[in-house]
Amino acid sequence: MLTVENLHAGYGTSEVLVGVSLEVKAGTVVALIGANGAGKTTTMRAISGMIRPNRGRVLLDGRPVQDQDAAHIARLGLAHSPEGRKVFGPLTVEDNLLLGAYGRLPRFFGFRARAAADLKNIYALFPRLEERRLQTAGTLSGGEQQMLAIGRALMSKPKVMLLDEPSMGLAPIIVQEVFHTIRRLKETGITLLLVEQFAKSALEVADYAYVMDRGHIAIEGTPAHLREDERVLAAYLG
Amino acid sequence: MYTLLIVQLAVSGALMGMVYALIAYGFQLTFATSKSINFGQGELVMLSAFFSLTLIDSGLPYWLVVPGGMLFGAVLGLFVERAAVRLSLEQKGEGWILLTIILGLLGFSAAENIWGRDDRPFPTPISSDPLHFFGIDVTPLELSVAIGVLAVMGLVELFKRKTLLGKAFEAVSADRDAAQLMGISATRTIQLSYGLSGLVAALAGILVAPITTVGPTMASVLILKAFSVAVVAGLDSGFGIVLVGLFLGALESLTSFYLGSGWREAPGLVLLILALAVRPNGVFGKASIRKV
Amino acid sequence: MWKRLLLIRGAELAALALLAAIPLMVDNSYVLGLLTLLAIYGILLIGLDVTVGYLGQVNLAQAAFLGLGAYAAGLCVANFDFGMLAALAAALVVGLIFGTLLAFPALRLEGPQFALATLSFSALSATTLNEWEGLTLGAQGLQVSRPPFLGMALDAPEFFWLCLLLLALVWMAMRNLLSSQWGRAFEALRDSPIATDAMGVGTYRHKVAGFALASGLGGLAGGLYAFNFQYLQPQSFGWDLMVILLLGVVLGGRKSLWGALVGASLIALLPNLLSNRGLFQIFSAIGLLIALAAGGQGLLKKTTRPFQALAPVAAMGILMVGSLIVGNTEDWRKAIFALMLFSVVVGLPEGLMGFAARFLTRLFHIEPPRLPAPASLDTVLPKRTANGGALLELRGLERYFGGVKAVDGVSMTVQAGEIHGLIGPNGSGKSTAVNVISGLYVPTGGDMLLRGKLLPVGSLFKVARTGVARTFQNLQLFGELSALDNVMVALKDVYRSPLPLVLLGLARAEEKRARAAALALLELVGLGDQARSLAKDLTYGDQRFLEIARALARKPELLILDEPAAGLAHPDVNKLMDIIKRIHERGISIILIEHHMDVISELCGVVTVLDGGKIIAAGTAEQVKRDPKVIEAYLGVVDDPAGAAAPAQAG
Repeated sequence: MLTVENLHAGYGTSEVLVGVSLEVKAGTVVALIGANGAGKTTTMRAISGMIRPNRGRVLLDGRPVQDQDAAHIARLGLAHSPEGRKVFGPLTVEDNLLLGAYGRLPRFFGFRARAAADLKNIYALFPRLEERRLQTAGTLSGGEQQMLAIGRALMSKPKVMLLDEPSMGLAPIIVQEVFHTIRRLKETGITLLLVEQFAKSALEVADYAYVMDRGHIAIEGTPAHLREDERVLAAYLG
Repeated sequence: MYTLLIVQLAVSGALMGMVYALIAYGFQLTFATSKSINFGQGELVMLSAFFSLTLIDSGLPYWLVVPGGMLFGAVLGLFVERAAVRLSLEQKGEGWILLTIILGLLGFSAAENIWGRDDRPFPTPISSDPLHFFGIDVTPLELSVAIGVLAVMGLVELFKRKTLLGKAFEAVSADRDAAQLMGISATRTIQLSYGLSGLVAALAGILVAPITTVGPTMASVLILKAFSVAVVAGLDSGFGIVLVGLFLGALESLTSFYLGSGWREAPGLVLLILALAVRPNGVFGKASIRKV
Repeated sequence: MWKRLLLIRGAELAALALLAAIPLMVDNSYVLGLLTLLAIYGILLIGLDVTVGYLGQVNLAQAAFLGLGAYAAGLCVANFDFGMLAALAAALVVGLIFGTLLAFPALRLEGPQFALATLSFSALSATTLNEWEGLTLGAQGLQVSRPPFLGMALDAPEFFWLCLLLLALVWMAMRNLLSSQWGRAFEALRDSPIATDAMGVGTYRHKVAGFALASGLGGLAGGLYAFNFQYLQPQSFGWDLMVILLLGVVLGGRKSLWGALVGASLIALLPNLLSNRGLFQIFSAIGLLIALAAGGQGLLKKTTRPFQALAPVAAMGILMVGSLIVGNTEDWRKAIFALMLFSVVVGLPEGLMGFAARFLTRLFHIEPPRLPAPASLDTVLPKRTANGGALLELRGLERYFGGVKAVDGVSMTVQAGEIHGLIGPNGSGKSTAVNVISGLYVPTGGDMLLRGKLLPVGSLFKVARTGVARTFQNLQLFGELSALDNVMVALKDVYRSPLPLVLLGLARAEEKRARAAALALLELVGLGDQARSLAKDLTYGDQRFLEIARALARKPELLILDEPAAGLAHPDVNKLMDIIKRIHERGISIILIEHHMDVISELCGVVTVLDGGKIIAAGTAEQVKRDPKVIEAYLGVVDDPAGAAAPAQAG
C-alpha cells in the first residue's frame, strides 16, 4: 500500500535521510523504531509531503506522490498524525474531528450529517472525546489530545495512516492506553506505519518493524526476530 | 441642550467608527491565515468605490451595484495576494509590507488617471433626512452603514463557524502544518482570506462613499484609522474591533468639535501608539508564546 | 591588505573629491541644487538604511523625521536667532528625541505592527505641523532664512560643501559604528532576536538605539533641507516622499553606505528623468532589458522561482509600453515609482550596490583584512577552580501549556564543576525545563537559585547576564554574520569604549582584542579556518559547534547544551565529546541534554532522568541505565493484554 524507495531528505543544507527504503503492506501495522535523532520523524514528514524529498520515491497505492504537496497527498488517502499531536487548539473537539474528514466532506452545508456515522464510530472508540466534544482542544490533557489526534486522522478513512510518537510526553499509564487503542485499530484491519521511541511497546503491536539509525534502515524483521537482536537494545541504551 | 449635542456628536462619530471596524475586520481575516495584511487596503477601498460609481453611472440599479463592487474588491484582494504576498510568505520574509504598499501606490496612480483627481458625489437611494430618537438625529444613511457593517461581519463569522470551509480557515490560522495534513491547502486558504478581505473593504467603500464622496484620497485617512482600530483592538481580537471602532469614532468626533476639525485624525494615531506601549498585542488580543 | 585599503578608501575619497569639484567646474545653479539635494538625501538614506537594512524593520517614519528636523531648525532660526551649527544640532536632537519616544513603544513588536506604528507617527506629525498654526503657520508654509555659519554667510556652493562635509562625516561615523559591536548587534538581532538576548546583548535597547540614530540623521538632514529650500510646507514630508525614500534605499541596496549614496543620486535625479519623455523611454527600455536578463538568467540556473523572474519583466514591460503611449509622464509619477520599486523588490532584492559589490570584489580580487593571531585560551576563558557546592538549584519547578504539564514539579541540584546529564524520552520536558531556566519561559511555579540567589525569570537577557549561557536545540545562529562575528557578538567584558569613541573610530584596539579572543574560541571548537564563512553556509555539524563557541564567549559559569549531538554524524559526535571535555577542563559546569546514551555515559558524572515532566531517576549513568523505570521510559512496557485500565507494572 505504501512503498518508500531510497528516500533522501533533510532541512536546508543538511541531509538527514540517506536512502530510506521500506514497505507497508495493506492491513498491516509496521513499526519504525530507533533512537532519537535517527530520522524517524523526518521520514514521516518526507512521506506526507511536509518536506520535499531530495531524491527517491514514495508510492501510495502504486502512485508516485513524492512531488505533491502535503494537502494533496492527504486527499489521496494518507493520514499523518504528526509528532506533538498538533490539534487545533482554539477549535472544539468535534470541529477537529470534522476537519479530519475535510477531503471527503461537502465544504459548505450538510457536512455534519454526512459525517455523523463516522463521528459516532470515533466516539465509540474514544468515549472521553464525546464527553468533551464541545470543549476546545487546547484545554484537553496530553493524553486526550493524543486520542483526538488519532481520531482526527481516522476520520479521513485513510488508505494508510502514519502515527508519529503517540506516546510522546505522556505518563506511562496513558501510554498503555494509547497502545491499547492501536491494538484495537489493528483488529479493524487498518494499514499503519507507527513511529515510536518505545521499542518494546511498538514491537508488541507490529507485524513487521524497521530499526533506523543515523538516517537509514539499520535492521528490519519481524518483531519476534528483532526482540532477540542485541543490536536493537544497543541502539537505544548504548 | 449641551449634553444632547455631545451625545449627538458621539453617536454620529460612532456610526462612522463602524466603517473603520469593517476595514480593520478585513485585516483580521488575512492576519489570521497568514500573519500578513494589505498595507494598500485603503486604495482597494477607493478603487472599489470608484468602480461602483462607474457601475451607477452606467445605469445599474443600486442593489446590483453593491454586489458588483464587492466582487471587484474580492478580485483586487486576490490580485494583491498573488502579486505581493505569496512569494514573500514562501520565503518567510516581510517583503509583503513593501510590496503591498507599492501595489497601493500603483492603484492610487491608476485611479488618478482613470477617474481624475476630483472628489465626486456618490448617489444613493438611501435618504439623508434625519430621524429622531430621543432628541438625537440619525440619518437612514448612517444607519445603513451600521447595518451593512454588522450584516457582512455576521455573515462572514457565520461562514467561519458553520461551514466546513470556514472551519478550515480557522484550522489554518491555528496550525498551518497540521491543516495541510488534513488536506487543507494553506495557499488556497490564504487566497480565500485575501478575497474576503477585499470583499469587506469594497463594501466599506460603497457604504462610506455617499458620506465622504469619492476621490483618490477618500480612503487615505480612513485607512489610518482602520489600522489604529486593528492594532488597538488586536489583530486577532474578533469582535473587539467593533467596540474599539465605535469608541474611536465617537472620540474623534468629539475631538474635532473641541480642538478643530484638523485634529480629527489625532486621537486614532495617539491611541495606536499608546496601545503599542501598554498592550502590544491589543486590548482584546492574545499574547503569543515564543518558540525556539 | 594595502590593496584593499587603497581601493575601498580610494573609491570613497575619489567620489568625495569628484562631488566637491563639480561646482568649481560647472557654474550652473540647477546642477548645484541637485548636488545639494543628493548630499542631503545621502544623509537621510544612510539613516533609513540603519532601520530598513541593518535592523530589518520597515520604517515608514523617516520622511516625518526629515520634516520635524526641518521645522525644528527653521523655527530655531526664526524664533531664537540660532546660528547654522546650533540650528543643525537642534534638528539632530529633535530627531533623536522623537525617534527615541517612538521607538520605545513601537519596537516592542515586529513586522506589521511596527510598520503601522511608524506610519501613524508620520500621519500624526503631519497633522501637528499642519494644525499648530501658531507655531508652524500650517499649510501656508514657513519661510526660513539661511543663518550664518560661524558668523559667515554661505553662498550656494559653500552651503553645498557644508552638506557634503556633513555627509562625509556621517559616512565615516556610520562606517565605524556599523563595523563595531553595535553593527554586529544590529544584524544579530535581525537574524535571531532570541539568541541575541540569550547572548546578553539586549535586543530591545539596541533596537531603540538604532532607531533613534536613524531618526537623528533624519532630523539632521531635515535641518539642511530647511536651509537649502528656505521654505517649508507640511505636505512636503508626507507619504509621497516616504515612498521615494524607500525606493532609494531598496534600489541602491540595503546594508550599504554606497547603496545609500547610489539611491540618493537616483532619487535626486528621478524628477528630471520623468519630465523628459525621450530620456524616460530609454530608461524604461534599459529597465526592461535588465529584468529580462536577470529573470532569464535566474530561470536558466533555476535559482529563482518563475514568479520572481516573470513579475519584474511584466512590470517593466508595462512601464515600457506606458512610456510610449502616455503623453504626460508626470501624471503617472506614482505608478512609475511603484512599477520600479516592485521590480526591484521582487527581482533584485539585494539592490544595485549589492549586485555590483559582488561583481567588483571579484573583479579586483579584493581580499578580506587579515586576522590577528588568536589570543591564549587562558585569557579568553580563564580556568575556574571548581570549589564545589550547589551551583544551580531547582525547587518544584513547573511549567504548564494549557492542559499540558510540560514540567511538573522538578527539583534538582547541579553541583559546581560537574557535567550534569539531563535525559528522558521525547517530550519528557527537558527542553522546556532549560527554556524556563534560561529565561525564555516564565515558570508556572517553583524557584530557581543560582549560587543561592534567585535567578531572574522570564528574561533571556537577564539570565544571560548572571553567567548562564546556552545553545539551542533548533539552531539560532546569526545566519548573515560570519562565524567570527557570531562569536564576537556574544563576547563578554570586551567592549568598553563609549559611543563617541566608537563613532570616531577610536575603538579599534578593543575590536582587535575581541577578534583575537573570538578566534581562540573558534579554534577550541575546531572552526579556526572557517572564521570568515557566513554561519548559514557552514555544515550542520559546524553550526552546532559554532553555537557552543558563541555560548562560551559569555565566559559562563554554567553552560546549558540543549541536544548538541542531534543530527550529527558519528565522527562529529566524537568531536563534540572532545569539545565538551575540553570545556569541562576549564572548570565550567555543564547541563547536557542528550539522547545518545553513549555520550551521556562517557561524559556525565550525574544524570537526571525526566519522564512526563517529572524526575523518575537520578544517579550515575550506570545506575540510571539499570533502573527499571528508566528502561521502561525508554523502551516502553509490554502491554498488559487485559486492558488499559490495569495499573502500569514496572519492569
